[in-house]
Amino acid sequence: MAALISLMILISLIGAIITFLTRTREQARVVALLASGISFVISLFMFLRFDSSIPTIQFAESYPWIGSLGISLKFGVDGIGMPLVLLSNIVIPLTVIFAWGETKQANQFYGLILLELVGVVGVFTSLDFFVFYIFWEIVLIPMYFLISIWGGPRKDYSAIKFFIYTHVASLVMLLAIFSLYFNAWQISGTPNFDMFYLLKNYSVIESTMLKDAIFLALLFGFLVKMPAVPFHTWLPDAHVEAPTAGSVILAALLLKMGGYGLFRVILPLLPFSGSPGKLVIVMAIIGVLSILYGTFLALAQRDLKKMVAYSSISHMGYVTLGAAAIVPLSISGAMYQQFSHGLITCVLFMSCGVIQHSTGTRVIGNLGGIAKYMPKLTFLMLAGFLASLGLPGMSGFIAEFLVLVNSYFTLPNFVILALFGIVFTAGYHLWAMQRAMFGTYNEKLGHIHDGANYEMFSMAVIILLVIYFGLNPNPVLTMMTTNSEQLYTVLKGVVIP
Amino acid sequence: MFGEISALIVLLPVLAFVLTLFLGKKLYSGGALLPIAAIAGSFIISLGTFLEIYPDGMVQQSWPWFAGMNIGILIDPLAVVMLMMVSFVSLLIHIYAVGYMAHDPAKPRYFAETSLFTAAMLSVILSDNILQFFISWELVGLCSFLLIGFWYHKPSAAAAAKKAFLVTRVGDVLFLAGIVLLYVNISEIIATRAFSIEPGNFILQFKTMFEAAKLIDPTQLTLITLLFFGGAVGKSGQFPLHGWLPDAMEGPTTVSALIHAATMVTAGVYLVARTFPMFVATPATISAGVPDALLIVAYVGGFTALFAATMGLVMNDIKRVLAYSTVSQLGYMMLALGTAGAVLGAKAVGISMFHLIAHAFFKALLFLCAGSVIHAMGTNDIREMGGLFGKMKITAITMLIAALALAGIGFPFAGLGMPILNIGTAGFFSKDAIIEGALEYGEVKGDMIPYGMAIIAALLTSIYIFRLWFMTFTGKPRSERHAHESPGVMTRPLMILAIFALLFGFSQAGFYGYVEKNFELMNVEIAVHEGEAFHPSPIIVMLPVIVGVLGILISYAIYNRRMLDMSKIISSGNPIYKLLLNRYYEPKLAADIIGVKLTHDVVAQSGEFIDRKIIDGLVIDNIIGKTVFQLGELVRKLQTGVVQNYASVTLLGLGLLIILLKIRFGGI
Repeated sequence: MAALISLMILISLIGAIITFLTRTREQARVVALLASGISFVISLFMFLRFDSSIPTIQFAESYPWIGSLGISLKFGVDGIGMPLVLLSNIVIPLTVIFAWGETKQANQFYGLILLELVGVVGVFTSLDFFVFYIFWEIVLIPMYFLISIWGGPRKDYSAIKFFIYTHVASLVMLLAIFSLYFNAWQISGTPNFDMFYLLKNYSVIESTMLKDAIFLALLFGFLVKMPAVPFHTWLPDAHVEAPTAGSVILAALLLKMGGYGLFRVILPLLPFSGSPGKLVIVMAIIGVLSILYGTFLALAQRDLKKMVAYSSISHMGYVTLGAAAIVPLSISGAMYQQFSHGLITCVLFMSCGVIQHSTGTRVIGNLGGIAKYMPKLTFLMLAGFLASLGLPGMSGFIAEFLVLVNSYFTLPNFVILALFGIVFTAGYHLWAMQRAMFGTYNEKLGHIHDGANYEMFSMAVIILLVIYFGLNPNPVLTMMTTNSEQLYTVLKGVVIP
Repeated sequence: MFGEISALIVLLPVLAFVLTLFLGKKLYSGGALLPIAAIAGSFIISLGTFLEIYPDGMVQQSWPWFAGMNIGILIDPLAVVMLMMVSFVSLLIHIYAVGYMAHDPAKPRYFAETSLFTAAMLSVILSDNILQFFISWELVGLCSFLLIGFWYHKPSAAAAAKKAFLVTRVGDVLFLAGIVLLYVNISEIIATRAFSIEPGNFILQFKTMFEAAKLIDPTQLTLITLLFFGGAVGKSGQFPLHGWLPDAMEGPTTVSALIHAATMVTAGVYLVARTFPMFVATPATISAGVPDALLIVAYVGGFTALFAATMGLVMNDIKRVLAYSTVSQLGYMMLALGTAGAVLGAKAVGISMFHLIAHAFFKALLFLCAGSVIHAMGTNDIREMGGLFGKMKITAITMLIAALALAGIGFPFAGLGMPILNIGTAGFFSKDAIIEGALEYGEVKGDMIPYGMAIIAALLTSIYIFRLWFMTFTGKPRSERHAHESPGVMTRPLMILAIFALLFGFSQAGFYGYVEKNFELMNVEIAVHEGEAFHPSPIIVMLPVIVGVLGILISYAIYNRRMLDMSKIISSGNPIYKLLLNRYYEPKLAADIIGVKLTHDVVAQSGEFIDRKIIDGLVIDNIIGKTVFQLGELVRKLQTGVVQNYASVTLLGLGLLIILLKIRFGGI
């Protein structure tokens, strides 16, 4: 029973090392699938054994590490982390299956994918702020290589931009973590990087300015990762050049780290920050701006993948909005949006990948009528697009519905603005489908073929999950709500102007 | 017994959808028998439930879902009449489609999608809460989208499917906003302890809504009902969101008959009927900037009835004439809810629903007849038809019955005080009641405009439908095509529907009595205007029939006897003719101006410009990027390329950081 989390991380890590050492691509992909598969089984076991009725940390582990600095290896999950651990373990094996045909430096490719799993699971389970930061940074490196080695024509520019941008944000966040650390050290006299301990000691900082500075630095770090407008411009470039597997992991898992930070760090600090009411409004503005701006930018794109990238920005805006509204169910909705978007976006990026592989282009205007020769892909892609535009019966609707309904209690005007975006969200999805997939076949594309079976399998599994969690949100939503209600016990004092 | 298994009404077609989708290819006629059997099952259960609960029972089942919401079944009189109609019409259309779609290679997809549609539509009807209603409502919209674009390789079909989805989406967002507002308002009255939800009940259930309606702030309630009505306007193709419905005719004709005539488009009317107690609870006077919700329903409906009928006059595509007719008739149903609702209370629901069901029979019949003609001729253009009566007798006669029903032909014996029953087609009974309701509204409120619109629209209805019939079936053939009567699998459903189009009207009194009780059963009181009994003069009673017959005579004179040559009277350059033929330029406005020019070219492209040139170009690349780059140039001079130097500098930096932090925070 014990040590499940570290076992999960170790298996992925060892799997990654073995994968790097394999000689053939067949070996590499089998090892990668096996390691991530075992990791998935562990996470599923944890998920099924998880007690949704209590908001406390479960499957907790703790090992001393650098005692003199108060750093220890502490892991555990609650209703905030558990769904994301499960999500990570669903997405990575399916990405390996989707990328079953990779030929270029396959051992490194699959190894890096496994390293991403190590990184994200570490982020979602670490309860020591220092270790959290290490995993946070670990995630960047494999992604940098995935983009810069397997990427498109402008891969160097994009990879560097991605790295510098998110790294700068991480450093700003690190400064804030250090401030929390030294502040707590100063008070208690002993160094301790324990995350909850540091967050608890935030409230006793005397200087309002320092409080706001720490808060904003952490918020900045998470918002860049999500990404929220106006800190988003690294994302479309990174996606356009990244290989499909890289895009899937980036959108499905890496962006979720930002949202996770909002729930794990930002919301517990909010009531004790210098001016919580104003900060809520700032977050709400950023959330709604992301929703609308992402939607309209998606509408302007000619590249299908770039359109999907902007749609991510729009969907992540719901996370910020729901968190900002500080109503229990709006927070649950925001958490559910993270989980749901993590699944849905996989199908969207996989569709782009299959289309590019088959036709050699992703420019919507150069496609046309390809449903005729790619019926399976069209079926799955349409399902994914419908999920993404918020069709009821699929998981995205539950999330957006919860966010919109419950945010209205505290932020009515922002909700009205967000509702406005829904029509246009449907607009760009359907417009892209109509022009790329339907209509008369563009003969210039020559002979094209449908997606490979392993690609279709990955997409179909995700669609089934999206429908399952759209019809039965409770397994995930209940544990989220338990924790969002706990968050609310401290948040309810915040007065929104 | 049937009430207990009423969940199967929805689940059977869902099962048929899954099976047909995956196994249809291997089965007879693309697996058509699966949905037919499933929907027959749904019909039998609906009918059985009706017999069980008649005259004053209900079926209520409810299960908790997520976050205080529920999934449930509510079969009251309103729902059960709709369930029977939808499952019955859907069944007939599925049978007809075996013949109509016989040569289409994508039959499994067709039958899977129509089966899913039927399931979703039945789920709309028996929902016991507004969220499940909305979800099912969106799913019928999805099926409509998929089936309009069934022949997706046709660019016009793909465009029409998209337009249908987006235009109704505008309404859906309003509907969703209404649900948001409703939820928040109910939560607030619960928070102030003015209202509570009993255990076993849920917040968005209709019964909770109706109880809470009395306690919600009237301005908010009006807003909620108008937002709901916004959804209904989108779904039922009311002005100004009507443009998608005629375009939806790009789908197979069976789809037009099922979705865009008999069932889905009526969901908007059903929504208003379903939430009618809330509409009635809104303040009826225009005060302090609060509009009268029912008045808006009445005017939008009346205007749409008239507006759509004008376009029906000039269309040459047989299906588009029928599509405008559908829009127009849905306007009548809204008009009934708005006008009769204001003066007759719950009776309005009976009047409107009766027309809804009568219309479903005769409009489905019109579409299926049109399908039979299209199947035979291979064209939609009535200018290329003519003289088909001899070749397609069953189609011609059944379509004539349907046209008479649409024109509302009959004779109001009882209305004139004679001791015998009124005699007429289904449309005669149902439309007369609406027009009479509008008249009573006019008398009571002193506002005859809705009545005027209804009467003029009735005249136009009769003209356009007989223009269609005369041009299709009489005169000389205008093209070389060889027509033949359709096979029995197609003509038999026509005959069955024709019987209903003829005889359904006679159930009027029983129907009203049953459906009017609906809200009483739910313990909702609906105020009725108390006044003197209403006795209009004989000429007024006869007026709807008179205009109906007049319309037939006008069409006969022009399109059969050719006493007038329309092309000589109205040139193709006539501005009014052009306005109508171009559908008041609505497609241009919706697609080109709002869709492409404003949204894409102006808003989205300027967003793109801001993103690339200002945020990314100016701020990131130029200001931040250049500064960093120049710093980097400075630092480059320190770069020696020796690892030891880097390491020592790193250590130095770390040491400095720690010292700085120590200074800042004091002794550690």
